Parts: sequence; structure tokens; C-alpha cells
Amino acid sequence: MQKQAEKNTQENRLLELATFYIGDALCGIDILRIQEINKLTEVTTVPQAADYVQGVLNLRGRIVTIIDLGIKLGLSSVEPGKDNRNIIVDFKDEQVGLLVDSISDVLLAESSRIEPPPSNIGGVQGRFFHGVFKTEKKLIGLLDINAVLED
Amino acid sequence: MIFEDDETLRMYVEESLEHLSDIENDLLAIESQGADIDEDLVNNVFRAAHSIKGGAGFMGLGTIKDLSHNLESILGLVRSHEMVPTPEIISVLLQAFDRLRELIQDVETSNSVNIDTLLQALIAITEGSLPEAEKKTVSEKVFIQHPVGQARMEASRFDLDQAFKHGKFLYLLEFDMLQDIQKKNKTPLDVITSLLNSGIILDSKIDFDAVGTLEDDFPRRIPFLILFASIIEPDMASILVDLDPEYVHHIPPEATTESGGTESPVAADRPAAPTAPPEKPAVKTVEKPAPAMPAPAPPLPEPKPEPAVSPPAAAALPPQEPAYASTAASWSSGNTDDPDDEISDSASKNDKQKSQASLRVNVNLLDTLMTLAGELVLSRNQLTQGIATSSSQAIEAAGQRIDMITSELQEAIMRTRMQPIANVFNKFTRIVRDLSKSLHKEINLKIEGKEVELDKTIIEAINDPLTHLVRNSVDHGIETPDIRQRSGKPRVGTIRLKAFHEAGQVNIEIEDDGKGLDPEAISKSAFSKGLISEQDIQTLSAKEKINLIFLPGFSTAQQVTDVSGRGVGMDVVKTNLDRLGGIVDIDSKVGSGTIIRIKLPLTLAIIPSQIISVGKERYAIPQVNLNELLRIPAAQVKERIEKVGKAAVVRLRGTLLPLLDLSDVLGIKKTYIDPETGEEKEDRRVNIADRRSAQLDGGREKVLKKEDKAPRKQEDRRFRADSAINIAVVSTGTFRYGLVVDQLRDSEEIVVKPLGRHLKDCKGYAGATIMGDGRVALILDVASLAEMADLSSSGASKTLAHAEKELIESTQRQEDKASLLLFRNAETEQFGVPLNLVERIERIKSTDIEYVGGKRVVQYRGGSLPLHELGEVANIQPLPEREQVEVIVFKFTGREIGLMVSPPVDAVEATLNVDASTLKQPGIMGSMIIGGRTTLMVDIFGVVKTLNPEWFTGLSATAPVLDSNGQMQGGVKILFAEDSAFFRNQVTSFLTEDGYEVLVAEDGVEAFSLLETHVDEIGLVLTDLEMPNMDGFELTRKIKGDSRFSHLTVIALTSLAGEEDIIKGQAAGIDDYQIKLDREKLLISIRDTMASIV
Repeated sequence: MQKQAEKNTQENRLLELATFYIGDALCGIDILRIQEINKLTEVTTVPQAADYVQGVLNLRGRIVTIIDLGIKLGLSSVEPGKDNRNIIVDFKDEQVGLLVDSISDVLLAESSRIEPPPSNIGGVQGRFFHGVFKTEKKLIGLLDINAVLED
Repeated sequence: MIFEDDETLRMYVEESLEHLSDIENDLLAIESQGADIDEDLVNNVFRAAHSIKGGAGFMGLGTIKDLSHNLESILGLVRSHEMVPTPEIISVLLQAFDRLRELIQDVETSNSVNIDTLLQALIAITEGSLPEAEKKTVSEKVFIQHPVGQARMEASRFDLDQAFKHGKFLYLLEFDMLQDIQKKNKTPLDVITSLLNSGIILDSKIDFDAVGTLEDDFPRRIPFLILFASIIEPDMASILVDLDPEYVHHIPPEATTESGGTESPVAADRPAAPTAPPEKPAVKTVEKPAPAMPAPAPPLPEPKPEPAVSPPAAAALPPQEPAYASTAASWSSGNTDDPDDEISDSASKNDKQKSQASLRVNVNLLDTLMTLAGELVLSRNQLTQGIATSSSQAIEAAGQRIDMITSELQEAIMRTRMQPIANVFNKFTRIVRDLSKSLHKEINLKIEGKEVELDKTIIEAINDPLTHLVRNSVDHGIETPDIRQRSGKPRVGTIRLKAFHEAGQVNIEIEDDGKGLDPEAISKSAFSKGLISEQDIQTLSAKEKINLIFLPGFSTAQQVTDVSGRGVGMDVVKTNLDRLGGIVDIDSKVGSGTIIRIKLPLTLAIIPSQIISVGKERYAIPQVNLNELLRIPAAQVKERIEKVGKAAVVRLRGTLLPLLDLSDVLGIKKTYIDPETGEEKEDRRVNIADRRSAQLDGGREKVLKKEDKAPRKQEDRRFRADSAINIAVVSTGTFRYGLVVDQLRDSEEIVVKPLGRHLKDCKGYAGATIMGDGRVALILDVASLAEMADLSSSGASKTLAHAEKELIESTQRQEDKASLLLFRNAETEQFGVPLNLVERIERIKSTDIEYVGGKRVVQYRGGSLPLHELGEVANIQPLPEREQVEVIVFKFTGREIGLMVSPPVDAVEATLNVDASTLKQPGIMGSMIIGGRTTLMVDIFGVVKTLNPEWFTGLSATAPVLDSNGQMQGGVKILFAEDSAFFRNQVTSFLTEDGYEVLVAEDGVEAFSLLETHVDEIGLVLTDLEMPNMDGFELTRKIKGDSRFSHLTVIALTSLAGEEDIIKGQAAGIDDYQIKLDREKLLISIRDTMASIV
């Protein structure tokens, strides 16, 4: 019995996904990668930086680089609005903020229902994704944070 | 096998490294004392080697044990005066200790490292000091059988002989890892350490054979055997070592006769140890193997008996020499690994000590931190309580407390990171010693200021650059003794390493009295390497040429030696120092030496900086890079800012400074504050040259623009603008430029934080900081900004030099210009005083002024600043009463004095065209027209002298002695050349007043002819620089070039002491520079010169 259950979880692990919108694309990342989500707007622009760098902000004494996920993924830049959020993730011992248009629900995804990514999801290259998760209504692209933040 | 207890091993490594940390200096001290050794010092080193050996045996670290053992043997001989520590021996010892340190640092792989050559060198030294008969004993092994058990200990014959010779008893101690060590809560190392207090350990091992295999029953004992030699009598031994007598086996000397290391023939010709103590008749019957012991000859882990040492050669040479000679032979024969590498790399490996993970902190400091932390908690409680009761008073009080505690806490924490620079400096003794030996130079290294403290990270980071610079001085700077002697210098070269605090920074100077750097050779070399064009070279000053060695890809050495040519050039040194916020500067005189000055911040974490803003963002410029702030009022923009080629430049006190518009470099929209409305508006000028202004919007603008454009093409290359321009004058160490910004804000202490990896490519920033309002501001890296704008010093200097020439020509036409500080006393009267005499300007509340002892003073920085007003001396309208008073602070003879004035206080640059008669009165030297107003020129020296005559009595005493006839002794007159009548009179009058006789000339030609006729009377030449017919530079060149006059001191008097002028002046031979209106300094300089003549 016990062994059976173990086997189940191994094959059908439940993943908690935080989902958010970049433009029209619904994306998700493993919630365990997220340190916090905030809407700090006091961003200091950094002239000469790459176009996808929105700027830097002070997160309780740490300087956090904010990445405009829209531009980084090759879409249009994130529209400034009241729903904008920074998703702070840990990347190689450093905190990086991902600016998204708005955040959506937290979903439970069974790993068995995650499929390999197609070459393109809503205009975004497939290489940025681990896979896609289909719900009844929507298709969620699982962002590969490391691929996105790597140069 | 290696003892696999991480904790014990780690402790052993730490302890051993600690033992080794001071060895180098001890050895060098021993070397300097020669035969007259300081036994304590030797003992120190001996014990270090010994305790390392003790632990190593137990840990199963064979290589380390062998090495430390051989070191110990040598040191033992030195200690007992049987060997004189010659530099050759010390060299080998130093190498061996270096190796030992490496082995211990990399302890896991130490056993597989081949150190045979080194061991042979050490053994050769030991043998070299022994009588021929005893030589073999060094490498001969003796096995000592456990009286009851199976185990067998080993020791060298030499050690045993030494032990017995000093009246020691030999014991085999058998500790039990379980009962004697673990149960007693000790570690094996503790045991070893305590044994070392009373004797020496010859061998130690754990007898695993006695433990049995896993299949056997649980072992009762794990014997830990130590072969121990001590002067303790056998009946006391067991008490001392805290063991049951059953486990203390006394080994009589007879039992140590079994030889295992050498074959039997050797044994035959070795007699008994000659100096064995009489009460121990050492019955060394080697020929007769002890019957109780089985004597198999197992494969030797020890080095083989010295094949490299040839006995005949050794015998032919004096006792000390052969050891080293054979050592050298074996080093260079390269039989195992590459020995040359071993020697030359030892120093460099040493440099690359890993950055420390732990740090020693003074306990007092820790206590302070604890107290402060406690205080912080209390204040927090106060604060929360205040917030809970909404008592604004309590909150305010708590806020203040927290403010104070925070600063104290910050300072205390910073102090924990501070380390003496001795950590870096000390190792240079060794480096210089080794290098000078290998380069056959004689060098004396002087170190000053070891106690100066720097942040730990900086200490670590300056290690490499400093090492490189010191190496350079040894390798390229100091000449070989023969060359030095030929050029009349002492054979022994001197390198001075000095650290000191100045202006909140740490200064490090590396000075050598070597051959110096030749600017011509450097520029030629830079040219041949294609680093600079020929035209560029011509525009460079000597100092700039020397600074070319910082260019990437530059190396002056004709051939790359293994000392300095390690692929690291001076450019890397500079880059490294730049990264630390440091500044490096070279001064050098061909033939007499080089001095390299480095300025470093005390800490990297918190730096004072100037906040500026461009567009909507604020930026920080580190104060280290900031020279001054400049605000050019809209009305002066067109006069002071010009365009030379593509670059904009600003006139600043006679020099041209290239300008860099921060918004252009960073690509930001700039803003300015509308002078009329005070609003911040977007600046639409494309560059500073642009005259479009926001006010000219709409149709009018077009018309105006058309009108404006036509004449501009022709002659007017100057600018006009509707807003003032703010410039931060920054320096990158090698050159200065002006950074044009929108606004200048406060100066603040900022905490430097690193930028994330996505911003690594943005070169213009040195990091980021968090401002008081919580927002982030970027820290500018001024050197990189200049690079981004291609404003490199050599590139820009070409165009600049051209402009400079024009400027000098124009100033020559225009007569003397000087910076003046303008102020008012009463509303209607304007006064001027030379800006360079002003110490600073303060604004105080008139309520803070105290009347004490009939004088007005204000408390300032813990002292009292005397206050005066001009009305006390000069007949002028009174100073109106106001709530706030501007105080101009002057400094005379080390004392400060404040002059109360009315605003506006403003600095201007003006042509000095002083009318010295019309309005002259006490305290006023004359008048001139500035900005359409008659301005009274204040004779501040006269004012102060009238107010405080006693300040100058001390000085007059040093004035020249007049002989009985009232004539200057030795006929020393001053020749003074000056074209401006005003200055001529001014300076002549105060020189005469001070008791000198002055000959006056109106230009260089006249001065030179005066000189020819009065050469015997003149002791000093004082000259203006800009004069018609023959200028000051030319005059000086003529004087210095003429053998009749070249002994004369030439002091240049100038209104503009630009750096370029000074360099040009030095080239011409000018001895000193003085500012025309700085009477005090001028007089001091003249007095000094005259005193030396009389």
C-alpha cells in the first residue's frame, strides 16, 4: 500500500504553480522559486542597460534588478498599470524581479499532465518553457526561470 | 594512511598554519643576527617545526613529517651553536618552510608530493655541519622494537645521537586512544602538545596491528605509540606523562643500535658518538645486532641516502659551504620535478594565500559591540512604547538614540574589519631579500607605518598590486651594486615602503633610489608598440609620458625577466587599484629614483560621495574622484565654455578642462531649473553649445534662431545659455575632466551595494546605493565614463594642448588673471580678496557670537574662532546687523581668523588691474572695477597684522640678520622681475618691510642684464611668469643654463598656479612656486631660501 502511494507521488507529483500574465500569454512558475510578489514602483532606471532591464529597486536593503519579462520573452514591454507586479525570484544567489502585467491564480498541477512545450506559446519561444500545463479552459506555459534569466 | 578525523585534522592544520605564520620574520631576524643567535628566536622556530612534526606523525602525514623533521634537525644544531645560520642556510630553510606551508594547506594530497630534492638539500646542510664521521647518521634509520608488542618505531641515528648527547632518556610511550585519550576528553594533539613541553617526539604512530581486524572482538585498546626523548628520569616519567608505568617503556641507548637505513658496511666505520655524556656510556655496538629484534629491512619511505651529494667535493670545501653547494647542485640538476620552478614560484605561491574566512577580533571591541547591541534593543523598546502611547516626545528621543547608536555600531563593526597593513608589508622583507639575491643586487628595505589599518577586503586586494610594484622596484628600479657605485650611489639600494593616513585616506608610497623612469624611453617604447602616435607624444608632459606605462600592453623591461614579467603589467596594477577606488601616481627622476604613490579609501563599504542628478535620477560620485564643484552662471557660460574640435572645454583657473555631458554619455534627457519660475524643465539643448531655450518656444524662436546662426559660424565659437551649468570636476587619477550634470545635490555617506548580474555589462557604474528616501541611486565610475566617451587622457590632451597654447597666449596678452572672492560689508561697498587665501566660508547665526575678553568669537569644531570685521581696520561703512552672518575664514601662521561680511559672496576670475593709489588706506591695498562696480581690494595680511601684531612677532625673529652696518650679510639681495606695476610695488613693499633689499626689473630681459651686473649681490630671483620680451620660463632657463647664475634659487610668482604651469616651470628649473598675493607663504619661502644662503 505504502509503496504504491510513494510510487504515485513520484510519478504524479503535484506542482504548485503561481500563474501570471505577460500580455495575453498565461505563464506559470513553481511557487517554490518565488520569494515574494510585490508592487514596489520606485524603480530607478539604469541608463545603458539592456532594454529588458526595467531598472533597479531597493528591496529591504538589497539592490534587485527588475527584468521586464515582456521584452525578455520577445513580446511587447509590460504595460504600466495598477495590476503590474514584481515577482522576486532567487537566481544564482541573487534576487531578481520579474515584472509582469498581472498575476493570476495559484494552481495545482499534476506533473503527469504537463506536456513538453511546443515550439511557440502565444508568441514566445519554446526554449523558455519547461512544458505546458492544460487546464479545462486555458493553456499555461511553465516558464524555465533559469533559461529566461541566463544570458 | 592519513588519519581520517576531519575535526582533528582541521585543528592540526589551523594550529600548524598559526605556528608557521611568524616563521618567516623570525628566520630573517635569525639571518640578520648571524652567528650571534638569539636563542629564544631559534627556539621559537624550532618548536614550530617540532610540533608540526609531532602532529604529522600521528596523522600519518609522512611527507610533512619528513620535511619538518629535517628542518628541526637543522634548527636544533643552530640552537646548540653547532651551526651558524648563513644566508645560504636560511634560504633553504625559508624554502622548506614555504613548502611545508603549502603541504599543510593542501594536507589531503600532501603525501603524494615529491619533496626529495628539498629533503636532500636539508640533509646536506645538516651533514655539512657535522664532523665527517657523523655525516651518515643523518640519513641512517634506526628501528626500535616495542619491548612486548609487535610495533616498531623508527628514528634517525642522528636524532638519537643528539638526544643522548644532551643527556636525554628515550621512552616508548603507549597511550590508549580509548582509555587515555577519549575517556579523558583529550585529543591526540593535546597529548602531543603537552609532551612537547618536556621533551621531543621522535616518532609517533597508531598501532593498528594491535587492534585486530573487524572479525575479532571489539578491541580493548588502540595503542598510540610515541617515541619520546626527554631529560626526565625514568622513575618520574610515568607520572609526568600521566600513564600507567606499565605503558612507559624506557629504551636504553643499547637498544637503539639496530640500523635499518643503511647497509652494513657503513656501520663498520662509525665509531661511538664522541661527545656522549660520560654517565651514559653509550655502548654503541652497531656491529652486534640486538638478538631480541628481528631486523628485516623493509622498503624505505624515507628519502634515499643522499646520492646527489658527492663526499669528496663536500670534504674539499669549508664546513658550511659544501652543504649549500651540493644543495644548489642538486637543485639545478633537476632530477625529479622542475626545481627551478620550485624556487621561483615559492614566493608567488605564497602571495596567493586564500582570503581568510575567519578573522581575529579584539575582545574589547566585541564587548563594545555587545553593549551597543543591547542599547539598540533598549532603544527599540523605547520606540515601540512611544509608538504604542503615541507620544511624539518619546519617539523623538528614541529616534535620536537610535541615530547615535547606529553610527557607533557602524563604526565599531567597521573596526572589526580593520587590519594592520603589516599583514601585507611584512612579507615584502622576504620577497625583496629573495629577489635581490637572485638578481645579485643589494637592497635595504625600509618599512614605515606598519600599524596603519585598512579594511580587510582592501588589504587582501592590494596584495597583488603592491607585490608587483615592489618587484618592479627591485627588478627594474634598483641597479646592480657595480652600476650604482659607478654612478656615485651607495652600493646598497634602498626601497622605502611607507603607509600613512592623510585626509581620510590611506597613502602608500613605494620609493626606490634606483635608476628612475626615463620618460623618453617610455614614450618611445609606447610608440613602437603602437600604443600612441608620434604627434601625441609631443603633446605629453614628462609626467604624462611616465604614466604611459599604465597603458595596457606596456612593459619597459628590455627582456622579460621571470621576476616582473609574469604577464601582469602595470595596467593590471592600475585597474586593480581603480577598482578599489584608489589612485596611483608615479613620480620619477632619471638617475635618482622613482616614487609611486597610492591613495586608498579606508573602507570600501561606506564612502562619502556627492549626489548629483540628471533627468529624473540621482547619481553618486565618490568623493575620492571629486575635485571640486563648479557652477557657471548663465551669464558666464559663453565666456568660460568653449568648443575645441568636437570636445567642449571649460576654462578653470587658467587651464582648460574637457567637459563630458553625463546625460549624453548615459543617453538621458536632461533637465534644468528655470531661473524665473524655479520649475524643473526639460533641457532641449542638444549640447552645451546649443542656445535654444525653453523660453523661446513658438514662432519667435525660429526667427531668433535664424538671426543667431549667421554670426556664429564666423568667429563666435562661444556659448550662450539661459541656465547655469553645473559641473563636477572629477579626477581619474591620471587626468581630470568636468562632468556636466543637471543639478548638484548634497554630499552624503553612502553604503555601496553591488549591482546584479544583468547589469554587469553597464560599465559606467561602480555599484548602487540606497538613498534616504529608500530609492536606489547608481554610483558613477568616472574613469569608465571617460572611457565610454572616448575622453582618454592621451586622446583628449592633443586637442587640449592646442587649446592650452592659445589660452596661454591669450593670458599673456591679457596680463594677470586671478580668482577673487567678492563680498560686501555694507550693502553698497564691494570688496575683493584673493581666493587662494581663503580657507573656507561659513554661515553662522549672530546669536552664536560670544563676546569674551573684549573679543568676538564663535565656537567652531570644539575651538573658538576669533571674529573681526573690516571696519575695525579700514574706514568704511559699518556692517549691518543681520540674523545670519557670512564668515570668511583665513589662516595665518597656523591660526584661523574669521572676517564677518555680508552677502552676496561670490568667486570670480578677474584681470588684476589694480589702482594702488586712489582708494588706498589701511587694510585696503587698492581698487579695481569688477562687474561694473568699484571693488576695494582687501590687504588681508595687513588687516590681520593690525589686529593681531603678536601673531607675527615669532616670524620676524627668523627674518634675516642685519650686520652692524644695517646691511645684509653676504650681500644677499633679491632680484624681482614683474611687469605689473601694482604687483611690483606690492611685493617690493612687503619684502622691504621684512628687511630685504630688492632689485626691480620690468621684464626678463631687464632682469637678466641686472643679474649680469649685480651677480655677487643677488641671492635669490623672484620672477613673474607672464612678462613681455622675455617671460619667466625663459628667464629661468637662461639663469639655470648659465654657470655663473645656476646656483641661484628661482621662485616663480604667479597668479595662476596651474598644474601644467608647474610642470613647465619644473622643466625650466624653477625651484618654487608662490602665489602673488599669498604674502605669508611667499615670505616663508624667501626666508627659508635666504637662511640657507646666509
